[in-house]
Amino acid sequence: MVPIENYLVLSTILFVIGFFGVLSRRNAILILISVELMLAAVGINFVTFASFFDSGQLSGHIFTLFIIAIAAAEVGLALGIIIRLFRDRDTSNIDEANDLKW
Amino acid sequence: MLLDMQQAWLLTVIPLFAFIVVSLFGKRIPRQGDWIVVLAGLACFLISIMFILDFQNYFNNSVFEPNGNNQYSFDWINIPNYLLIEFSTYIDAITVVMLFVVSLVGLMVILYSIGYMHGEPRYNWYFSLLAFFLAAMFTLVTTGNLLQLYLAWECVGLGSYLLIGFYWERQSAAEAAKKAFITTRIGDVGLLIGIIMLWRVAGTFDIQEIIYLAKSEVFSTTYLTVAMIFLFLGAVGKSAQFPLHVWLPDAMEGPTPVSALIHAATMVVAGVYLVSRMLPVYEMLPIAQNLILIIGLITALLAATMGLVAQDIKKVLAYSTVSQLGYMFVALGVGSLTAAMFHLFTHAFFKALLFLGSGSVIHATHQQEVSKLGGLRNKMPITFSTFSIGALSLAGIPPLAGFWSKDEILLYTSEFGTIFYILLLIAALLTAIYSTRLVILTFFGTPKDQEAYEHAHESPSLMSVPLLILAFFAITSGFFVFSFVGRFFGFEGGFPEIVFLKYPHSFHVELSTMLVAISVSCFGLILGYFYWLQNNGRRAISAMDWAPEVRTLLLNGYYIDNLYQNIINKLILGFASIIAWFDDKVVNRSGIDGSAQILNYIGFRLKFLQTGKIPNYVMMMALGIVLFSLVLLTSN
Repeated sequence: MVPIENYLVLSTILFVIGFFGVLSRRNAILILISVELMLAAVGINFVTFASFFDSGQLSGHIFTLFIIAIAAAEVGLALGIIIRLFRDRDTSNIDEANDLKW
Repeated sequence: MLLDMQQAWLLTVIPLFAFIVVSLFGKRIPRQGDWIVVLAGLACFLISIMFILDFQNYFNNSVFEPNGNNQYSFDWINIPNYLLIEFSTYIDAITVVMLFVVSLVGLMVILYSIGYMHGEPRYNWYFSLLAFFLAAMFTLVTTGNLLQLYLAWECVGLGSYLLIGFYWERQSAAEAAKKAFITTRIGDVGLLIGIIMLWRVAGTFDIQEIIYLAKSEVFSTTYLTVAMIFLFLGAVGKSAQFPLHVWLPDAMEGPTPVSALIHAATMVVAGVYLVSRMLPVYEMLPIAQNLILIIGLITALLAATMGLVAQDIKKVLAYSTVSQLGYMFVALGVGSLTAAMFHLFTHAFFKALLFLGSGSVIHATHQQEVSKLGGLRNKMPITFSTFSIGALSLAGIPPLAGFWSKDEILLYTSEFGTIFYILLLIAALLTAIYSTRLVILTFFGTPKDQEAYEHAHESPSLMSVPLLILAFFAITSGFFVFSFVGRFFGFEGGFPEIVFLKYPHSFHVELSTMLVAISVSCFGLILGYFYWLQNNGRRAISAMDWAPEVRTLLLNGYYIDNLYQNIINKLILGFASIIAWFDDKVVNRSGIDGSAQILNYIGFRLKFLQTGKIPNYVMMMALGIVLFSLVLLTSN
């Protein structure tokens, strides 16, 4: 039996990588991928806790499935936005999309 | 009986309905809906008669008993254990007298108005306002609690305001309306303060309960005196008594039937009615009651002197009304409710008659100044004879109504104190003189304005019939002083028994005071005859020249108007300018503009946080989450 700490460490590492990616990348697609990493980390957490503390129930698993489904929808939306941005400005660098400011 | 007194709310609802219908749809109804108001007035008159008949069934109940079966109420505002305000009607003898006066004069004035206002613009609005006023007035006299009375009190004030300012295109009418409203408002504030003061201790607005509590000494005497003087201030404003009388002469800017209804017979006696209602309380407070007596006396005298010189036929009548109201307050001040109500009763008829008669003259000649009238007695015989009956009744010539009621007041005043009696006799003399003057200058002598004289004609029957009916009452209503007349109509006795049921105040006719009163009135009549009719008024002119200063003083109403204007200009406007400065500099500039500027500056500084760079936002978010988690962790 793999101890719970391993799972949690894995998900934490994944989350931090994703978070670092969101903060440091300038390319919109890379940021999107980083967000997906963070979502995956959260999914791992859900499944972990569900199987360790609530093994009779499936609520954690269902939540994970939901996250995956919503992430897929979100990717569709985000890619659409990115494509529009690219067509408009010939770049996917988000630093150049800074019109909404003071 | 078809209706008993429980249904007194009908008196409010019927005219109110007429008001709504005629004011909203009057232009689309045949004859602009005046017949609706006539029907409403007729219905109210019939209902009032029914109540008077029904009232006899209640003879066995005492008058001032709380929750008697002549009371009907439903909850208006009910906050359990804290505040209960009822919409209630309460009918007793005083109400019955008022109901008869209001409904009869109201009906006469409505009928008269059809002729008088014929072809005027806003005809339907005029009639709807009459209905509105009647609704408010009926509420005022049938209500059982002070708060509802205050509501009705303001509503009659509103009706008066709108009707005085009916010809609002005329600057003077608009200003007179404003003046009437604001001057009475000064009194109304007093009334409201008084009502609240009574409520604070009594915990109820019900008049009969307050009287009952006052009698059982729930209030301290000082507190009650102050409260009742405030209440009296309301009466002073509404009934145009001395310091606040200035609005009534100006109120004559309104159409003449309105003056007859509102400013002679009904609304202005609301103050007398209020004090009559609360008289059992006033009788326990010598200071307040003496104040009523003195104010009444001053008013009776002052107004009578001003009536001597006024040039406008309606203003003479207005001053006379003020003076006669002063008489009523004197009667209340000496504690004779019967005499006050009796004078109210007779005065309403002969004064409404006089006003309607003057309206007939104005309608025929389009002149109001007595100096431009004259010699009309042959041209307008009905108006002349009825007007003369009214004037003689006002002067106090027996056996007309005014004599009997004025005699009662004089009698009680003579029992109270000689000095008051003599002053009141002087007022009676002046009354006789100016009544004579008014009749002589209007109907006798040679016409001074030939064009107006040529134009004059007798009024249509719609106008002269109300005059005749009112003249009948101006002659006969005084006979209620005799017990057999009252008994004839099914009451226990004369007016005192009507007002007091089984417990009449002493009310008698005494020959000596009667003779004095008759001789004073006749003396006034003869004086008037000598001064204005003989030698075509040369004596009056020489008297005018003899003391021109006095005449100017009287014509200007003792400069009370000017005094008020000065007070308003200097004191009130000065104080207002200080307030305006404070409002501008402190409240507006620093308070409102200042706080807005501070926010504006903060916003200007903070807006640069919005860089538009997504990583910045994410960083902020991350920092926020970290901070939030730290707070959560440390707090646990």
